[in-house]
Amino acid sequence: MSFSRFLLRRTLMVIPLLLGVVFITFMLIRVGGLDPVGQLAGPTATQDEFDMIREELGLDKPLWQQFLIYTGNVLQGDLGESWLSNRPVLDDMLERAVISLELLVWGIGLGALIGIPVGLRAAFRPNGKFDQTTRVLSLLGFSIPTYWLGLVMIFVFFYLLDWAPPAIGRISLMIFPPETVTGSYLIDGLIAADWEAAWSATTHLILPVVCLAIISAAPIIKQTRAIALEVLSSETVRYARACGLPERTVRKLVFRNSAVPIITFVGTELTGLVGTMSLIEYVFAWGGLGQYGLNAIVRGDFTAVQGYVLALALFSVVVFLIVDIIVHLIEPRSELN
Amino acid sequence: MSLLEVENLRTHFISRDIDNQIRVAQALNDVSFTLEAGKVLGFVGETGAGKSLTAQSICGLLRPPARIVGGSVFFDGQDLREMPEDDLNAIRGDQIAMVVQNPRTSLDPLTRIGDQLARIHQTHSGGPISTSRERALEMMEAVGIPDPTNRAKSWPHELSGGMAQRVLIAMALMNNPKLLIADEPTTGLDVTVQAQILDLLKGLTERFGMAMIVITHDLGIVAHYSDEIAVMFAGTIVEAGPVVDVFNNPQHPYTQSLIASTPEKLQIGGSAKLGGQPPDLYNLPSGCPLRTRCSFAQEICATPPPRRQINDTHYSVCHFSGKSPANGSAS
Repeated sequence: MSFSRFLLRRTLMVIPLLLGVVFITFMLIRVGGLDPVGQLAGPTATQDEFDMIREELGLDKPLWQQFLIYTGNVLQGDLGESWLSNRPVLDDMLERAVISLELLVWGIGLGALIGIPVGLRAAFRPNGKFDQTTRVLSLLGFSIPTYWLGLVMIFVFFYLLDWAPPAIGRISLMIFPPETVTGSYLIDGLIAADWEAAWSATTHLILPVVCLAIISAAPIIKQTRAIALEVLSSETVRYARACGLPERTVRKLVFRNSAVPIITFVGTELTGLVGTMSLIEYVFAWGGLGQYGLNAIVRGDFTAVQGYVLALALFSVVVFLIVDIIVHLIEPRSELN
Repeated sequence: MSLLEVENLRTHFISRDIDNQIRVAQALNDVSFTLEAGKVLGFVGETGAGKSLTAQSICGLLRPPARIVGGSVFFDGQDLREMPEDDLNAIRGDQIAMVVQNPRTSLDPLTRIGDQLARIHQTHSGGPISTSRERALEMMEAVGIPDPTNRAKSWPHELSGGMAQRVLIAMALMNNPKLLIADEPTTGLDVTVQAQILDLLKGLTERFGMAMIVITHDLGIVAHYSDEIAVMFAGTIVEAGPVVDVFNNPQHPYTQSLIASTPEKLQIGGSAKLGGQPPDLYNLPSGCPLRTRCSFAQEICATPPPRRQINDTHYSVCHFSGKSPANGSAS
């Protein structure tokens, strides 16, 4: 199958998937009894006012009709309006997506950058000192609650040591954010050559990124070690040794043969950690999509919740598509289907 | 001086069980043999007898928990056991080449076969890659791979089993080895392809003057293609000698039963004499390891059996070799 046909097919396959996601989130929220009318109307509202709001929002219509209207709107790119912000959900999310992506990519990127070499090194000397140490550390990384780690890091590095800026937002309150190009203050600051803003953005990034890196590195270490160990005991490596290939070549071979499952795993991490992201964003007042979604759930802003879930589903699809493409590029055995 | 001299090689699997007690599996017990340049030696025996382990021990390819605990291996006058790992690595794939079973999973799946062939040559020769590439094409031609120039661009998964086995043989030939170890080179191949591969190996050893060790459990292969045979059981060579002598006059009950168990013999009406499981390597019986399965076993078999020379080159490790009740009933 040619590459463009593969892309087209995968894109078409996304549509029924997203329809399913829309249906499930829509129904779950209605069944779950999230009713915004009470909060919208306020404590002194009369029954008439309730009914009026209900009619205005279309909540008096039968459920199936509501669903059809919503689906029709979604297909046209209209995710509805958030009553919290009084703005279209799509606009809200687009604004925040980059902010969250920035944190997620840096965090898991750093986690992978640490986790993969550490896991490989542990696998080359199983049960050695390095392996034992990293096993304990990754167990710690597994068992630490995310929000607790974030709070402790703020306590230590901001309150006690004063190395980090206060955990409010993405840039110092005293500094003007650079002109928006990508939405990431760091990159925008660099583009605008506004070094002060870029530096401030960086210092604000460090704590949450490290927090996310610790959380994501633990499973990456464990998984990389297991994958590399399996490759090391494979007939391919056995034969490479029998051929007298030098240790460096053998290690390169192990690395290349572990790459596909490792990349796939990092892909699942990327999509799996969006929930954790919400907590980290919340603790660091990051104001990204994760915090937006969490807020919407807590406050019962159901259009925003639906939009958030849909965005996460879309994100997973895109990540796995990218993973598939990378795997296809490095793995001659892969077939595009 | 022989090309390969293996003396009292002992390899054990040393591990700890859940109670942290040391457990030792005596996988190779005093394996000794010599191989002259240009000769073909066939190792036969049942699964777990230690054939492949012998090959791996010789090449230093053992992985924990397996470890050589005694004996010596001299190759071309060099002591392989005392050699630093780097020097040994320089010999592996160069002077001693291996053809393994499962060629398709043994080749590097992410490297084109031409590149793998060139890589093993360049690693050991250190010369320019262009020379190695030319050599790769030559060797692919020599092992009968059609259209080498195009085939060199194939990925391992695109090859048939027979073709992949030919690639492995080409890999082994790249550096003109003095010794070729073929570990079950035809397992999993069609019978017709098996014959082709074996004829090819035999022809190549003659053409390049290589010595070869063939490991198999197929007596027919040994009978056809080897000069000498070593029969292994429970980590020891129980009988060895020139193929003609051993097949015409098998002395060890195990060899006799192996020969009697070939499909041809079974059809004629001979019956398999030895049933039963291979002995537990963690707990070998005293004396002859075969005695729990041997129908001729007597009290004396609980003491270590002597090595009896039948003639200059043929020996058998059995109390009754050359004079036994076993011989009487086997003839």
